Amino acid sequence: MNFDLSEEQTLLKDSIQKFIADNYELSVRRKQSKQKPGYSEEHWKTFADLGWLGLPFPEQYGGFGGNLIDTMVVMEELGKGLALEPYFATVVLAGNALLLGGTEAQKEKLIPEIIAGDTKATFAYAEEQARYNLEDVATSAEKSGDGYVLNGTKSVVWNGSTADYVIVAARTSGNRTDRDGITCFLVKADAEGIKMTNYPTVCGHRASEITFTDVKVSAEDIVGEEGKGIEIVEEVADRAILALSAEAVGAMEVLYKDTVSYTSQREQFGHPLSDFQTVKHKLAEMFVETEQTRSMLYRATIEKEANEEKDARLDIHALKHMVGKYGRFIGQGAVQLHGGMGQTEELAIGHYFIRLQVIDTQFGDEDFHLQQFANKMDVPTEGGDEMMLPF
Amino acid sequence: MDISLSEEDKAFQQEVREFLEEHLPKGAEVWSKRKEWFEAGKAKGGWDVPKWPKEFGGPGWNASQHYIWDRETCDKSLPLVLPFGQVMLAPILMNYGSKEQQEKFLPDIRDHKVNWCQGYSEPGAGSDLASLKTKAELNEAGTHYVVNGTKIWTTMGHIADWMFCLTRTQTTDVRQEGITFLLIDMKTPGIEVKPIITLGGSHHVNQVFFDNVEVPVENRVGEEGKGWTYAKGLLQHERSAIAGISRTLVSLQKLKRNALKVKVGDGNLMDDNSYRKKLAEAEIDLRALEFTELRSLAGVQAGGAPGSESSILKLKGTIMQQRVQELTIEAAGPYAINWGHAKAGPSFSRMGMEMYLNGRAATVYGGCSEVQKDVISKRVLGLG
Ligand SMILES: Cc1cc2nc3c(=O)[nH]c(=O)nc-3n(C[C@H](O)[C@H](O)[C@H](O)COP(=O)(O)OP(=O)(O)OC[C@H]3O[C@@H](n4cnc5c(N)ncnc54)[C@H](O)[C@@H]3O)c2cc1C
Repeated sequence: MNFDLSEEQTLLKDSIQKFIADNYELSVRRKQSKQKPGYSEEHWKTFADLGWLGLPFPEQYGGFGGNLIDTMVVMEELGKGLALEPYFATVVLAGNALLLGGTEAQKEKLIPEIIAGDTKATFAYAEEQARYNLEDVATSAEKSGDGYVLNGTKSVVWNGSTADYVIVAARTSGNRTDRDGITCFLVKADAEGIKMTNYPTVCGHRASEITFTDVKVSAEDIVGEEGKGIEIVEEVADRAILALSAEAVGAMEVLYKDTVSYTSQREQFGHPLSDFQTVKHKLAEMFVETEQTRSMLYRATIEKEANEEKDARLDIHALKHMVGKYGRFIGQGAVQLHGGMGQTEELAIGHYFIRLQVIDTQFGDEDFHLQQFANKMDVPTEGGDEMMLPF
Repeated sequence: MDISLSEEDKAFQQEVREFLEEHLPKGAEVWSKRKEWFEAGKAKGGWDVPKWPKEFGGPGWNASQHYIWDRETCDKSLPLVLPFGQVMLAPILMNYGSKEQQEKFLPDIRDHKVNWCQGYSEPGAGSDLASLKTKAELNEAGTHYVVNGTKIWTTMGHIADWMFCLTRTQTTDVRQEGITFLLIDMKTPGIEVKPIITLGGSHHVNQVFFDNVEVPVENRVGEEGKGWTYAKGLLQHERSAIAGISRTLVSLQKLKRNALKVKVGDGNLMDDNSYRKKLAEAEIDLRALEFTELRSLAGVQAGGAPGSESSILKLKGTIMQQRVQELTIEAAGPYAINWGHAKAGPSFSRMGMEMYLNGRAATVYGGCSEVQKDVISKRVLGLG
């Protein structure tokens, strides 16, 4: 039993750490976030050159055959750096959708391009009325000749504006909230009939509302099986939650550590703030909940990697719940203990706090996942009305 | 990163299961057949004293074997062993006791012939234990210490044959110095034990008074004045043990089962979404805590001491115990008022309230939550 990273994972972690330290000063990040395309194309090339974009893909497509733990390492470090590059949208979302459902032709063409940094993609699974329900899909894909015609609007598509391809979940049959009848399609982002409304997110990233009006796609563009798209959407969502949670744990760690050093330097009443016990205790709690969330991140990731479906299912809900609940606790705590400075955009901590707030809204928030956990948790039915153990 | 059990561990797990299946007394026999259970453990090679090292007749398990044992036994009723002798005092005697003391006391601890209690806290020395004042003075002949003072919150003091006790033999500027670790026979003249009844209506704890109690010098453990060092090393082990995480998870499962039988209209309490979500939230924290414990264990296995994680485990573990207790009385609803031995309402309600009330102590004893946070901020966060 060990929780150590392998040698390769340690090297990977170190190289991302070094990259972040050399390139991700806050002022640079803020500038990049404000101008187009919202991140650095140069950095994206570096991601490709250093092999990070190829990490989760099998070797046959030129990737490194990495597993979920490798992605966890990458996402945690990117989280510590508040990186803006569309790694999550391209590699985690679209990459996994392709891996799970892509035809050989799709994979052979796109994965090498993604790995080389030449192609970016994203995943349009959500709709406004669906909130966090992955099965609620109104966007329609109607059969027309050999192909399909897409109509509808997908919401909050991460990094839509810079994507070359969009993988979109649309309904080929059934009613709006039916589990069956959803199909995923691979669509070029500049296809006729696609209109994107792009907007900046509060955390400095970019998102889009995408409207499809009579967009023609062919049967070869289907990703996965017709009508069984929910399986891909759900599996991508699981992996997305693990990746986002790793990013969140990275942010939580930075927040409590920064707050420890700030309160140790800042003096009031003739003492460093960290001399005061209420401050100490708050910091201790922030540390404890970071470690607790990290434990759940490890647990869910390891179980998912080992295909322990039942436990992984529960623990992914548990994890996303904790990321929401404790991410907010730590983010708010850090801002509070930085006083007036904590309220400014000059300081990094505010940006980590905001990023954690946003992560809570991606793929289901604290309460949504608590409800899911509550629905699915194990309730033993045998026995009942038992005495409890005396202690 | 790898948490799968090694082949060796799997074989061990199998062995534990078979042993429990064959020897663990079933149901009500857990009391009447306890002797046989201990004998079987002893014959198995020290499984009656799981925490003991090989050289003292224990099994000498490594960290993952301990973990497996705990996991396999947490949902079963094992014959009760009070921790004071076997778990708390024995390691101190093994590390710091004389050969004579080891030979005199360890076999009786192992065979459950002697009950021990822990005499550390005093009315004036709780969280700040080093301020303890119970005085021990060597008599002129140098044969006995004469002990005067009082200890409080002494769990099981009223049934104990012996007490291991921290006494002050010297007052210096450094309060941790001058503390001496004595073993005191509770039948010695001058000792008086007075009961203290806790909120749950139970008599577990006591105040013990010492009036010129003579303790032979051969019952001093280690050197005079070094008692603090001996006692301190063990506190962290005690903290991890108090956390009781797997046990709380078992209690939570039982609570769900009980909640299924609690009537709400035509349905039951598990249909109540807001209650269900409270259970879910508790289970989530506990599942995380289980893994925090594993991470701490992996650290120990790699050669570390149960360090700062034991403070996380104590802090969060006791909060979670209390949360499950709270949810238990919430489940009992109007029958949470049930007291005494009347048979009204579901049977878990009576014990549930008693446990809830006595359970408040878990965030106080073994180092209160506030002290655990101090420990974390000092040792982990490096704050002065
Ligand atoms: C059921 C039970 C069984 C026990 N069994 C034993 C036993 O067998 N043997 C034995 O020796 N002792 C035993 N104890 C004693 C136990 O270890 C002490 O109660 C504990 O150390 C706290 O001391 P105190 O009760 O004097 O509380 P105090 O030290 O007076 O503390 C009171 C409260 O003040 C707060 N506080 C304390 N210190 C700090 C701090 N540094 N910063 C901020 N807040 C603080 C906490 O909220 C704490 O609960 C037992 C206690 C209980 C309740």
